[in-house]
Amino acid sequence: MTRADPTLDLIANAALAGAAVLLVARPRLIARVARSPLLPTTRDVAVAAARLIAPPAPPPLHWRVAKVRELARLVGKYSPARLRSTRDIVKKAARRLNGSTALLAFLVLADSAVEHYRGSFANRAMYTPLAIAALTLAGSVFGLADARPNRHAVRDGIYAVAAVTGLAGLCFHAYNILKRPGGLSWLNLFYAAPIGAPFALTLAGLLGRGAERVRDVLPRRRPTILGMPAGRTLAAVSAVGLAGTVGEAGLLHFRGAFQDPAMVLPVTVPPVAAALLGAAALRPTLKTNRLARRWLKLTALLGMGGVGFHIFGVARNMGGWRNWSQNVLNGPPLPAPPSFTGLALAGLAALSLIEDETDA
Amino acid sequence: MSDNPEHTPRALDGRAPDVLRPGGWVPMRQYDEDDAVDFAIVGTGAGGGTLACKLAEYGFSVVALDAGPYWRPLDDFASDEHHQAKLYWTDERIVDGDNPLQLGANNSGKSVGGSTVHFAMVSLRFRPEWFKARSKLGYGVDWPLDWREMWRYYAEVENALKISGPVNYPWGPKRPRYPYRAHEVNAAGLVLAEGAEALGIAWSPTPLATVSAPRGRSPPCVYRGMCVIGCSTNAKQSVLITWLPRALKAGAEIRDLAMVGRVEHDKSGRVTGVRYHRRGRWRFQRAKNVVVAGYSIETPRLLLNSASSRYPDGLANSSGLVGKNLMVQANQAVWGIMEREIRAYKGPPSLAITEHWNYTDTGKDFFGGYAYMSQGPLPLVWSGVESSERGLWGQPLIDEMERYNHQVGLKIVGELMPQERNRVTLADERDQYGLPISRVTYSYCDNDKRLIAHSLAFMRQALEAAGATEIWDETDDTCHLNGTARMGDDPKTSVVNADCRSWDIPNLWICDGSVFPTVGGVNPSLTIQAIACRTADRIKALAARNEL
Amino acid sequence: MPDRYPGYDVLQKRNSPSWNDQTRAVIDRRMAIDPDHHGFFTDAEWPTLRAICERIVPQPPDRAQRAPVAAMVDEKMHKNSGDGYRDARLPPMREAWQRALAAIDAEATSRYGRRFHEIGALLQDDLLKAIQNGEVDEKAWDDLPAKVFFKMRLLHDIVSSYYAHPAAWSEIGFGGPASPRGYVRMYFDRRDPWEAAEARSGNEGRARAENARVG
Repeated sequence: MTRADPTLDLIANAALAGAAVLLVARPRLIARVARSPLLPTTRDVAVAAARLIAPPAPPPLHWRVAKVRELARLVGKYSPARLRSTRDIVKKAARRLNGSTALLAFLVLADSAVEHYRGSFANRAMYTPLAIAALTLAGSVFGLADARPNRHAVRDGIYAVAAVTGLAGLCFHAYNILKRPGGLSWLNLFYAAPIGAPFALTLAGLLGRGAERVRDVLPRRRPTILGMPAGRTLAAVSAVGLAGTVGEAGLLHFRGAFQDPAMVLPVTVPPVAAALLGAAALRPTLKTNRLARRWLKLTALLGMGGVGFHIFGVARNMGGWRNWSQNVLNGPPLPAPPSFTGLALAGLAALSLIEDETDA
Repeated sequence: MSDNPEHTPRALDGRAPDVLRPGGWVPMRQYDEDDAVDFAIVGTGAGGGTLACKLAEYGFSVVALDAGPYWRPLDDFASDEHHQAKLYWTDERIVDGDNPLQLGANNSGKSVGGSTVHFAMVSLRFRPEWFKARSKLGYGVDWPLDWREMWRYYAEVENALKISGPVNYPWGPKRPRYPYRAHEVNAAGLVLAEGAEALGIAWSPTPLATVSAPRGRSPPCVYRGMCVIGCSTNAKQSVLITWLPRALKAGAEIRDLAMVGRVEHDKSGRVTGVRYHRRGRWRFQRAKNVVVAGYSIETPRLLLNSASSRYPDGLANSSGLVGKNLMVQANQAVWGIMEREIRAYKGPPSLAITEHWNYTDTGKDFFGGYAYMSQGPLPLVWSGVESSERGLWGQPLIDEMERYNHQVGLKIVGELMPQERNRVTLADERDQYGLPISRVTYSYCDNDKRLIAHSLAFMRQALEAAGATEIWDETDDTCHLNGTARMGDDPKTSVVNADCRSWDIPNLWICDGSVFPTVGGVNPSLTIQAIACRTADRIKALAARNEL
Repeated sequence: MPDRYPGYDVLQKRNSPSWNDQTRAVIDRRMAIDPDHHGFFTDAEWPTLRAICERIVPQPPDRAQRAPVAAMVDEKMHKNSGDGYRDARLPPMREAWQRALAAIDAEATSRYGRRFHEIGALLQDDLLKAIQNGEVDEKAWDDLPAKVFFKMRLLHDIVSSYYAHPAAWSEIGFGGPASPRGYVRMYFDRRDPWEAAEARSGNEGRARAENARVG
C-alpha cells in the first residue's frame, strides 16, 4: 500500500507519541492546558485534527490515466511478488493477533487474580478464569513462537474454552449484581462483580481463534471466517470489544466522578477508533482504513499510558503505595487500561488483512 | 509539647495551619483588635465557618473565633476513640428534665470546624413541606424561608463539599446529581436494604460528605470507619478542610483557642465587638457586626451571659425566647444479631438510609417524620450502649460484646417537637473562664413518644425481615441540637428574621442550628450550611443597599 | 468458654500500615499504664475500685496482658476529664466517685460485715445488682442516687476504660486502629487479611492460623 504523505504521517505519529508521553508524565500540566480558555474548544480541535489527518481527496484523474492505473493494478495483483507479499501480510497478521490475544489473556489473568482475591475466592468458580486465562496466555505465546502456518488443534480448543468461559463469567457476574439489594442499580454496577470484565476473556478467545483461522490458509487464498473475509470479521470483533471496554471504562470513571480531566480520554479516543474500525469492517475504503489506523494507534498508546495514570491514581489514595495491600484493590485497577492496547493491536492486524483484501 | 494545638494557638503571626499537609502552613491575614472588622464571628462550625468563608469571599473583613484547637488531621488524629475525645466539648454542662440529654461526644464539638470535625457526614436536604410545617403539615411553626430558594443553596453546599450520593435519590423533588458517586454499601447497610425491600419501601445509599474519589488533596475514603472520632485522612469534607481554607484564602482571620465570653454593646444598644479569652488573658475585638454561631447551647449561653443593664435578659431576647425551644432529634435504635458476619466497624457508620417515613404522611399517629440509617458503632460507643443503655455488666456484658461482629442495628433521626420548656439556662456553677455554665433541660412530649414508638416497631419489623434475631430496643438516645434562637417573621415569636439578623439589635446576627424553628427528620448540618450561604448572600445584598 | 477469635492479637498490626505514628504513640502510652498506680483514689478506696472493676469487666485469669481498668479510671479522675455533661442529680464526677466508693463499702459492711473487696465474687455481684436497681440503704448513700450513679458513672467509666484497651479489642474481634490503611471487603462474611478470623464450629485451627498471619 502506498502512503499518501509519509512526512505528514511521521509528524502525526511523533505528535501522538509526544502527547502520550506528556499525558503520563505531566497530567496536571495537560489538564491545565486543556482547561485554558485561550485554547479553542475541543470541537474545533477535533475538526482541525480531522482535516489534518485526512487530506482532501485528490482531483479526479483523466479517464485514460485511470484505465492505465487499473490495468497496472491487475497486473500487480497476480504477479508472484504480490502473492508472496499477501502470504507475508497474512502470516504477520496472524502472529500479531496471537500477540493481542496473549496481552488480553495476561490482563484477564492479572485482573481476575486481583479482583477475585478481593472477592476472597468466595466461590470455587472464581479460580476458573485464572486457569483459563493462563492457558490462553500459554497458547498465544506458543502461537507467537510457532512458525508453522497451520492451525493448532490444542490452541484452537483452548481459545474456544476461553470464549465460553468468558460468557459463563458474564452470567456469574450478572447473577452477583442481580442478587444484591437494589438489583440492576448504579450502586451494584459500580461495586458488585464488574459486568464487563469476563467479556475480555471471550474476546481473547475469539481473537485467538481468528489468529488460528488466518494462519491456516492455503497458498493463493485469502483467509475467511464465517464465510466473510477474515480481516473484516476480526475488525468487527475488535470494534465490538473496544466498544465494550469503553463502556466499562465509562462506568468506572463515572463512579470516579471523572475527577481528573484525563479520565475523559478513554471514553473519547477509543470510541472513535472503534467506530472507524467498525466502518472499515463494513465498508473498507482507503480513507477509512487510514483514519482507523491512526486512531487505533492512539488508542493503543492510550492503553499503555492509562497504566501510568492508574499507578498515579493508586498513589493518590491514602497511604499511597506503602498501603498497597488496600490501594491496589481499592484504587484504579492497573490491568484495566491495556485492554485498549490489546484490542487496538488486534484491530490494526485486522486492518492489514482488510487492506490486503481490498487491494486485491 | 510546643506544638500542642490544645494548649497553644496555631493561627498566629500571619499564618494558619495548612490542614491538608503534614506540618504545613498557609498565610493568614490578621486584623488589629482595635480596628472594627466588618464581621466578628463566634464559632467556626457549619454555620460560622461557612459564613466566614462566604463573607470573606464577598470582600468583607472577617475575624472568626473558635474556642477549640486548630487541628491538622493528618498530624493530630489517632485511630483511637479514647484519645479522640479531644474533639468534643467536654466542659461541664448540667443536664436535667424528664429525659436528660447526653452531650459531649454525642453532639458537641470543640474544634476549629466545629462538630463537623466529628460528624457522621450524613448530608440530607429537608423535605420541602418542613419549611412550612404549620401550614402544610399542621404542627410546629412555619419557617420564614422558601424551599425553592433553599434548594439552590443546598446545591451550592453539596457542590462545595463534593457530596458522594446516589445517582438517583428516591425521595423529594428533583435535585441535581450529587457531585461524587455513592460509596459502596457495607453489610450493615445491606441489612437495612434487605429489610426495606422485604417491607416494600425504598432505600438508598446515604449522601455523605466524604469523597468516593480523589478531590485535590483529599484521598478517597479508605473505609476505616472512624468518622465520628475525626477523619485522619481528610477524605471527610468537614468545614475544617473545605470552607475554612477558602476563608483564609479570601482574607479571613481565624483565631483558635479563643473563647468568647461576652458580646459588648454601646449606649445606643448596637453591639461593638466581642470580649474573648486567648493566650492567658481577656481581649476585645472591635467589630461592626457580630455573628454568634456557637450552636444551640453555646449560642444562647453567650447571649444570656452578655446581659447588661440595657438588656437585662440577655442580648436579642426581647421575645424571651433565647434558650427556649431547644430541639434534639430522636435517635432510638433497634439492635439484633445476624448469623452472617457484619463487621459494622468498616466504612462510614451510616451507608444506607430510608427516608420513607419522612415523605409518607399516612399510617402515622404522630406529627413529624423520621429517617432511619444503618449503624457502625465503634467498641467504646457500643459498650456504652450494651452497658449503660441495656444494663449489662460482668460476664453477660463480655459475652454480648464478643458478638460485636454479628450485631446489626437501625437507628432513627426523628423529628421532635419544639417546646418552650426544653431550654438552655445559666447554672450557678462557673467554668474555667469564670463564666456561668449551661443547664440543659429536656423532656419528650407525647407526640415525641408516639413517633419513637412507631419507629421502633417499624424498624423491628425491618430487622426481622432481614433475618436478625434477638432484637432489642434502645429507647433512650438523642442526637443533634437545634433551636434556642429561632427565626421567624414576627419579633414577638422569634429571635432572628429570615436573614439570621436579630430583631432587637440590627448588627447582631445568629447563624447556626439555633435558628431552626423545627428540626425535620434529617441530620441538620447541610441545612445549617445552606442557611449560612443564604445569609451571606443576604448580607451582601443588604450591604449593597447600605442597609447593614 | 473458647475464644471466638483464637490467637488474634490486635497489637500484631502495630507495625502494619493500619497504624500510624500518632496511634502508636497513643496506644504505647496506654499499654504502659501501671495497673497498680492510683494518683487520684486513696489507698483506702483503691481495693474497692479494683474489686468493682473485676466484677464489671471480668478478664480471663490466664490473659497475658490484662487491661489495667482501675488504673485507667483513676487516670480519668486524676485528669478530671469529663464527658461534657452531668446529670443534675449527681455531684461533679470526682466527688460522685469518692462518695459512692464510701457508700459501697458501707453497704458491704452493714450487709456482710466486711468491706466490698473482701466479700467474694457472688456477694459482690449481689450488691452491685442491688445498687443497679437502687435497692440500697439510703443513709449510706446520703442523697447520692445510687441507681443514677451506677448507670451514668460506674458503668460508664469502667466499661469505657476496658473497651479502650487493645486486650478488649482482640477479645471482640475488632480491627483496631485503621489509618492509613482502612478496609477493602465490605460485604457479608468477608474479612480482609488484616482482620480477625472468627472460629466457627470445626474451623478453630484454621482461624488460629489466619489470626497468626494478621498484620
